[in-house]
Amino acid sequence: MQIRSQISMVFHLDKCIGCHTCSVACKNVWTDRKGAEYMWWNNVETKPGTGFPTKWEDQEKYKGGFERNDDGSLSIKSTSRKKIIPNIFHNPHMPSMDDYYEPWTYDYQNLFTAKEGSDQPTAEPISMIDGEKIDVQSGPNWDDDLGGSEIYAANDPNLEGLTEQQRLQLSSVERLVFFYLPRICNHCLNPCCVASCPSGALYKRGEDGIVLIDQQKCRAWRSCVAACPYKKTYFNWFTGKSEKCILCFPRLETGQAPACFHSCVGRIRYLGVLLYDADRLEEVAKLPDDQLVEGQRSLIMNPHDPAVIAQAKKDGLPDGVIEAAQNSPVYKFVMEWKIALPPHIEYRTLPMLFYVPPMSPVQASKPADTIHHNSNNLFHDIDDSRVPMKFLANLFGGGQEGVVRYALAKQKAVRWHRRAETVGDIDRETADRMLREANCTREEADAIYKLTALCTYEERFVIPPMNREQAIEMMKEPHEHRAETGFGFVGGQTKGI
Amino acid sequence: MKLAFSLDGKATRVLPNQMHTVHERHRLLRVSLQCLGVSLALFVSSAGFAQDTPDYYRQNCMNCHTIGGGRLTGPDLKNVGQRRDAEWLIGFMQNPKAVIESGDAYAVKLAEESRGVVMPVAPGMTRYRAEQILKLLETESALEKSQFEGIKISSQPFTDQDRLNGHQYFVGTFSLKNGGAACISCHGMHDISALGGGRLGPDLTRIYERLKGRKSLSAWLMAPATETMQPIFKGHPLEAEEIHALTAYFESGAEHGEVEPSVSRIAFLLTGLAIAAAVIFGFDVIWKGRFHSVRRALVEASSQRRKS
Repeated sequence: MQIRSQISMVFHLDKCIGCHTCSVACKNVWTDRKGAEYMWWNNVETKPGTGFPTKWEDQEKYKGGFERNDDGSLSIKSTSRKKIIPNIFHNPHMPSMDDYYEPWTYDYQNLFTAKEGSDQPTAEPISMIDGEKIDVQSGPNWDDDLGGSEIYAANDPNLEGLTEQQRLQLSSVERLVFFYLPRICNHCLNPCCVASCPSGALYKRGEDGIVLIDQQKCRAWRSCVAACPYKKTYFNWFTGKSEKCILCFPRLETGQAPACFHSCVGRIRYLGVLLYDADRLEEVAKLPDDQLVEGQRSLIMNPHDPAVIAQAKKDGLPDGVIEAAQNSPVYKFVMEWKIALPPHIEYRTLPMLFYVPPMSPVQASKPADTIHHNSNNLFHDIDDSRVPMKFLANLFGGGQEGVVRYALAKQKAVRWHRRAETVGDIDRETADRMLREANCTREEADAIYKLTALCTYEERFVIPPMNREQAIEMMKEPHEHRAETGFGFVGGQTKGI
Repeated sequence: MKLAFSLDGKATRVLPNQMHTVHERHRLLRVSLQCLGVSLALFVSSAGFAQDTPDYYRQNCMNCHTIGGGRLTGPDLKNVGQRRDAEWLIGFMQNPKAVIESGDAYAVKLAEESRGVVMPVAPGMTRYRAEQILKLLETESALEKSQFEGIKISSQPFTDQDRLNGHQYFVGTFSLKNGGAACISCHGMHDISALGGGRLGPDLTRIYERLKGRKSLSAWLMAPATETMQPIFKGHPLEAEEIHALTAYFESGAEHGEVEPSVSRIAFLLTGLAIAAAVIFGFDVIWKGRFHSVRRALVEASSQRRKS
């Protein structure tokens, strides 16, 4: 056993209102630069939908992530030692600008400088790449709220395995449904981007597991762009370096939550430390698809277990980090309650961002003039949800409906329980039966309710001490370093390779 | 002198009573370095002045001109001072091209006689240098047999073997003994295919005629004098047997007509285009599984569905 710490995240999708405040906060802080206009380190997608870049989940096309060979070993889908030389001048699995979008702004100056005429001057869209006028064809959230759903939502790769009827239901009147999926870099335990980089420019920080790209070492191979199955590394066409979400490590190091977490209106985001067993990583990454969710959970160690604490101390984890792990909201969602699930774990990168799958409205039909609901209960059965269980299982369960059903059942039980507690129109017995069926106790249900609905800043974000002074001490005098450090790029980014 | 200070500025850390010696030594070093610099500069410049005119003549003039040995590419320079006055000669040496282009009758005649080969300006040619050369020409002309009368050129008849060897030297199968570059790097020849010969220098098919035969061609090859060739062959002169073989080869070339350049260029272009097309097609096959636009395909498929 070898214990390491990982800053992990939970996004509670049942709370997300799809306002894109997170995306805008991130854009303003990090990607408001030349060459980075098209990057959205944080973006919010509508599901069903094809997301950003378009249809990124279709790994038949994008070739992201790992694949498991017949002998049980793993290999990177997009590249290998053999493929790198023949593809040295052209990476064949790069998304094109059209699959992201051509970033644009508006010609606002025209509003002031247009010649006097009989019509109002307009601010026409102009490309931020070449400054020419463009006809906007797509954007980073082009299919937001089911916009153009015949083109986009109908082609969501997660619809695989759904019956024709289920697919039709998703888009028919009175049954139509969507939910939001905010996405940032998952800071995976087995990051494919790191594995693919020929220059060794990508690395996973030892002390907190944040995955970063060294801007000095990056040589513009763009292997990471092709290899990341979540398409969360981006190539900056101006500096010639790849960039990605840095989990706002300068903010974390000063005890603040990352910008997207801090700005979240629905307070859907939770951040905390998980302790994991690094020795068993490879073994878990090689498990068959249906065992991956459980396998990843088995990597995460109980921070209250004395044996784990002793080993963690032996492996050099500071007491502050262990303490943060014990208070981690992520540990509660993922391990104690088991209601948060990893996205697309079948890509085998072991993502460390977990999602609480969303509840959805009950199915309804309109045979005559009246709307007929399939369920007459206050809270319908989860199998009657408008979002088919299979869809959520493709997204969060590696295809396994069991883990998703467990998470939804527990959320539903918490609602019954709280209804019985606060309103009283549901009898205690039914609520308790619901809790029992969902493998939940009254105490646990109250805890879930509290951390979901009444959580404070300190409860949502348990940021461990980053102990940067210890890391810096190895290389230079900490006080000297303090005088030299700051936000932004030291000495400015240099263009080219 | 032994130096006792380090390069990283630690000399400042010596004790006060040692300070004096350190400064003293510093000064001494500086003075001696200056002396060395001055003497080096003197040496270099005097060496420049001291390069005697015969050497200069040997390097720059001899491959086109003899003194009393008859015409090579350029005229025999014996008693040249009696044919034209010194001022004209000095002017011509400093810029032959300008004098010819000015329409000077004598210069034009010279150019015609050498079949359009314009005399290059020798490197480092100054008025002073030109005067020195005139002096040299005068003294050498007065001698019965000048040391620059002419070069020993083999007069053996060319054999087929010589021609074959010449071809091998030309294309580089036999490397030149003193390390010179093979002719093919810069020149073409009638029997070198369109893709073979270099294009920096002219096609050499008719060089034998252009340079007026064996003697002047051999003289040229001993020390090529053009701006491009001189620096390349200065340190790597050709050997006598190499010159013999190459001259034989060039002589055989004179019998052939020059390759029609337009034909070979079109062939070159067409071959290039065909290969490029084949390569692009090959790439398309090899990278068949490469990423193609996803979003555009979705949009197109959708608009087609709507039409049908």
